[in-house]
Amino acid sequence: MSGVQGALVHHGRSREIEGDVVALEPAMGDSTLLTVRVPSAVAAEIRPGRFFDILCRPDGSSDPLLRRPYSVFASDPARAELQFLVRPYGRGSAWLARRRRGDVLDLLGPLGNAYTLDPGARHLLMVAGGVGVAPLVLLAREAVASGRNVVFLLGAADASGLLAAGHLPSAVEYVVATDDGSKGHRGFVTDLVPDYVRWADQVFACGPEPMYRSLRNGLLPLRIGNRPRVQVSMEREMACGLGACLGCVVETKRGMRTSCVEGPVFDMDDVRW
Amino acid sequence: MTTMWKGPSRVPEPEDPPGPDLSVDLAPGNPRELRLTNPVIAASGCFGYGLEYAGVIDVQTLGAFVSKGITRRPRSGNPMPRIAETPAGMLNAIGLQNPGIAGLIRKYPRIWETWRVPAIVNISAESVEEYAEMAAILDEQPGIAGIEVNVSCPNVARGGYCFGWDPGMSAEVTAAVRAATTLPLLVKLSPGAVDIVSVALAVEEAGADAVSLINTLVGMAIDTRRRRPVLANATGGLSGPAIKPVALRMVYQVAGSVRIPVVGMGGISSTEDALEFLMAGASAIEIGTAIFVQPSLPLEVIAGLEVWMRAQGVENLGEVVGAAHPAGIPLRRSHAQVAS
Repeated sequence: MSGVQGALVHHGRSREIEGDVVALEPAMGDSTLLTVRVPSAVAAEIRPGRFFDILCRPDGSSDPLLRRPYSVFASDPARAELQFLVRPYGRGSAWLARRRRGDVLDLLGPLGNAYTLDPGARHLLMVAGGVGVAPLVLLAREAVASGRNVVFLLGAADASGLLAAGHLPSAVEYVVATDDGSKGHRGFVTDLVPDYVRWADQVFACGPEPMYRSLRNGLLPLRIGNRPRVQVSMEREMACGLGACLGCVVETKRGMRTSCVEGPVFDMDDVRW
Repeated sequence: MTTMWKGPSRVPEPEDPPGPDLSVDLAPGNPRELRLTNPVIAASGCFGYGLEYAGVIDVQTLGAFVSKGITRRPRSGNPMPRIAETPAGMLNAIGLQNPGIAGLIRKYPRIWETWRVPAIVNISAESVEEYAEMAAILDEQPGIAGIEVNVSCPNVARGGYCFGWDPGMSAEVTAAVRAATTLPLLVKLSPGAVDIVSVALAVEEAGADAVSLINTLVGMAIDTRRRRPVLANATGGLSGPAIKPVALRMVYQVAGSVRIPVVGMGGISSTEDALEFLMAGASAIEIGTAIFVQPSLPLEVIAGLEVWMRAQGVENLGEVVGAAHPAGIPLRRSHAQVAS
């Protein structure tokens, strides 16, 4: 690694950056929480829901070919650090989870839009499935810092797959569900949603698509009109991350929209399910 | 990290000898010319309409770029999933999602007109008449430097047979487009042709200013858990480093036969790859899938070619084009000093 650590590579407007791995710690079962040092200007651009496309292969290799999208779990502009939650379920993520302190990563970003907090919203319900917890942890921290009330629901296969409560601000009401009942509610995280619908001004979700379908079905009879508003982060296979390849589109009521530039966050009512 | 470009290895000094000439004309037989400052082109489908990358890299430095394939009418494309990663490559079945030629014309030519980099528009159609109609529409537009005719899109089959697989059908499309426009005309060849050299010779005869090759190879991947194809479209176009040897072979064969410029592409991911295609006989190269991975790669290759030429004492890129052919290739006029 030559040159300035974490410096912007070539053109100032380029979003290809280098990030130094400064820490790795186990989190949520087999996942790893990866801390990366980036230019502080980049860390300052982070909004909950935005992501980086990370190159997950050694130098000189063509495989795995494509970058992998990772939402930001935490951002610390003062220390110029970002955190990503990496679950090793494929070749790229497994490579990323095996990095060591001092390794240099190639990141493209930050990319995409972000969750938006309505100015008048006081009560926020967050619904996370597995590693979908990442952008919502960042959102919960911001929401609490701005004086809002947050209920944070997380679902996992078993107790070992849950996020330690210490990652969330203490003011957050943290409620969990596990498939095997080893902790919290036995069943789906979406089973918990009806208890909070009337309380919530806004709902934010991040998880697999079946979770969204279940969330939507559970909400349909309980919502009054389109209240509360629901935002979901749509996960798609991605190639370019810049809206060029049209490989990651989401079908919306306004037509096909790219998940990488016009998403990943969409209004649930805008998506054609 | 070797995958990231850190700019030219050194900034040229005023007392340096004049830099090597990387320029190329891809339509030497056409009065309108298609003159590029360097031979590196961003490939269709991998660069949007140029604007997508304008905030990420210096687009104006490219030799040219080719727009995403457009059709007569708007298309919403194929269902998801549209892409699947494969070993050292990827499959795509986007299905030509595009705003249609009217949508393109409303938005882009007036922007491209202000750009230094030549914009080439890639067109797809389902009939000879439709190709000609689109070419006639583009002929009147500002800001368009040329047309790349896609006779080889593997995803949108109508009648089950692709124009680009057949020399006669490819020539018919080329002749119709040629009659409809004086714009520089590239015909993008399909690797699915039984004999790609016959197709290249046929489109040259029919009036193409240049040929570009290869388009993607049709492939597929299966999700064994679901026991279904990964792509909603079942099959898709394979691109990336995995196809490079096949592409290089086809460029070598075509360049050995035609006299018009050849634009080579297929898995190019480095300066070294670009040099291989030039030596195989390509007058210019297109970079596609590698841009998804590294947007700055085309700029890195431009700088890399210049560094290589200085190191090798090569003053004009034309000296390199076709160098790998033991008996040489037919003379072409794509590079100034070769023509003189």
